[in-house]
Amino acid sequence: MTTTASATRAIVAAGASDFRPRRAGFQRREQLISWAFLAPFLVAFILFLAWPIAHGIFLSFTNQSLTGAGGAFVGFANYAEALTDPVMWQSMWNTVWFTLLSTVPLVAIALVMAALVDRGLPGQWLWRLSFFMPYLLASTVISQIWVWIFNPQIGAANNILTFFGLEPIAWLQNPDTNMLSIVIATVWWTVGFNFLLYLAAMQNIPSQQYEAASLDGAGAWRQFWSITLPQLGPATVLILLLQILASLKLFDQAYQMLGGVASDTTRSIVQYIYEAGFVSYRFGYSAAISYIFFALIVIVGVAQALVTRRRKEL
Amino acid sequence: MTPPLDLSRRQFMTAASVAAAAALLAGCAPGTNPASNAQTLQFWHLLSGGDGVTMSSLLDQVNAAQDAYKIRPTVLAWGTPYYTKLAMAGAGGRAPDVAIMHATRVNGWAPGGLLDDWDLDRLAELGVDESTFPTPIWEKGFVGDRLFSVALDAHPFVLMFNTDVCDAAGVLDSKGALKETSSPEEFLDQLRTVGGATEGHALSYGYLGDGAQMWRLFYGLYAQHGLAMELPVGGKAVIDKDAAVESLLFMQSLLDGEIAAAQNDYGSAIAEFATGKSGMLMTGVWELRTMQNAGIPFDATMIPTLYGTPAVYADSHSFVLPHQANANPVNRDLTYRFVADMLKGSFGWAEAGHIPAFLPVTSSPEYAELVPQAHYAEAADHVVYDPTAWFTGSGSNFQGEFGAAVQGVLLSGDDPAAAIDRFESRVNTLLAQPNPADPEGTWKP
Repeated sequence: MTTTASATRAIVAAGASDFRPRRAGFQRREQLISWAFLAPFLVAFILFLAWPIAHGIFLSFTNQSLTGAGGAFVGFANYAEALTDPVMWQSMWNTVWFTLLSTVPLVAIALVMAALVDRGLPGQWLWRLSFFMPYLLASTVISQIWVWIFNPQIGAANNILTFFGLEPIAWLQNPDTNMLSIVIATVWWTVGFNFLLYLAAMQNIPSQQYEAASLDGAGAWRQFWSITLPQLGPATVLILLLQILASLKLFDQAYQMLGGVASDTTRSIVQYIYEAGFVSYRFGYSAAISYIFFALIVIVGVAQALVTRRRKEL
Repeated sequence: MTPPLDLSRRQFMTAASVAAAAALLAGCAPGTNPASNAQTLQFWHLLSGGDGVTMSSLLDQVNAAQDAYKIRPTVLAWGTPYYTKLAMAGAGGRAPDVAIMHATRVNGWAPGGLLDDWDLDRLAELGVDESTFPTPIWEKGFVGDRLFSVALDAHPFVLMFNTDVCDAAGVLDSKGALKETSSPEEFLDQLRTVGGATEGHALSYGYLGDGAQMWRLFYGLYAQHGLAMELPVGGKAVIDKDAAVESLLFMQSLLDGEIAAAQNDYGSAIAEFATGKSGMLMTGVWELRTMQNAGIPFDATMIPTLYGTPAVYADSHSFVLPHQANANPVNRDLTYRFVADMLKGSFGWAEAGHIPAFLPVTSSPEYAELVPQAHYAEAADHVVYDPTAWFTGSGSNFQGEFGAAVQGVLLSGDDPAAAIDRFESRVNTLLAQPNPADPEGTWKP
């Protein structure tokens, strides 16, 4: 022990006597080591994120085709075409409409489920497990399940309708109901994640607050409105942000449940990007649409940042 | 404690990663078959399920019959995934030696230089020429005056009928064939008679959410008017509104809930007919084997000519030569042999329901005895393909666009004329776009 201490002192003393050059060399070496540790991530980041983003912007100004043809610079022609393309706007609206339709129930139902599980239901672990379980399934699996539930001839959904004496519906095929069907399937599939976040937030609320409230005579509802809900504010902001971003990405379940069929009422912007690039082979055009979509996401992100900043200032 | 291998941790890690890298790289080496000196030909196709099984046995047959080449097949998922990968392989200069494409898709591909054309003389030496194909099928292989695809088959949209049900309904003639009908009214009457003899519907036709199914029946009926849609690049679509509306109205009258279920998707319609609950089924010939496996008594025939001109909607699986950056002349030569061998051996392909395109096969006595295939073989002379444009064809968005426009007509009685207008305006938008394989429009056939 004493030897180590004296050795350290000796090093410190030696360092002090010749401080500047040694310190700089040490720093350089340390920097090199930290870069070496960063390198694997940096390589992946540049190769799979930074470069594709830059290359995508470049592509959006060309008429590059998947077939290798084209590649000539066309200026803003792709953007001009996209902004006047009714299918692009319809798809953009479908994505926004899905986000509106899905976000509200995905947050509200998750909150109700979390409140039920947190406050009273016996066998908490079973509820937690069953509410979260669907979230673990792959989108291909839930698509298959819901395609059968929504089958117009032998599906469970129409069985229930006819049991109550209602007319059967072509859920996924009728343009009036197909978006709703996808929303229903998505809510069932992903509500478990929001539920878990809410449940965690609720269990973080100190129990003393509830004890104090009940001493003051507050009932269960009063406690929920005045303690639980206000305390869940930050969690709600987080869940909303995550949910909006997740909903804007709508593609796989809608594509799979409709068998890849382009329907004017469900084609999301991501699906249109895919169709432009991989069905119509127009990479340049596809890239331009994805940057228009990117602009939408940036707007959502900035709005979100402004809202949270205001909350902090309050 | 001495470890069994006296290596430091670093030495061990180095040795392990070298070994792993070697194993990984070995996986990249092209497969070689030391036992024979046959040249390996890469062949891509999109046939799975029953078609895939039949294709495999045909390939085994041609592989076994000679030892100059050996086919190495790659099967990819039908439709967009297949075409995307084939196009990208071509764009990367590493396309397979030979591939299957739908004849209707070739028009979008040839202009980009993705395909090489077939040497007519070389084909003729192998006994493959104009005289060995039905005229419409041979002609479909051309873009301009160059042959880009050689058809293996035609797979039309046909009418299957349950012989027990139709016999009971009294709509079969003395030879057991469906009595001929030549107008929409006659056919509807016949269907109503059949409806009286079934526990379910007279006809099964699945269309929900399936643009291709709607298009197959519609375009066959439209073509029976003696018309073809024209889609001139950079121009406007030429669609006969009256004929289109008449065809859609007829489809509407089939889906009245009595003759056929008003809401049926593809799978449900197949299941309905396969379980003997309906008298007839409108379907592609590729479902033949499904029905044979179901064990129901059935026969098949062309969809009746209701508007004067015999016409059957079809597509063809065709052989193409994807353009390779460094084409090997030996392989190219063997590819011609392979295609000729496949055509000559395509009798087995008929068992999957398809009509072989090679006439010596379909005119053989064995084929005449192959039932029900022989009963709709006549369709090969009346095939009608998708209108020619870069964006049409099987697995393209064109048929999906058609479905999106007209499904409301069939499902909820929307106005057919408005639906056709919507379809037309969407097609015109596509026509205004250049073929992405040739954006500058410089390619000349």
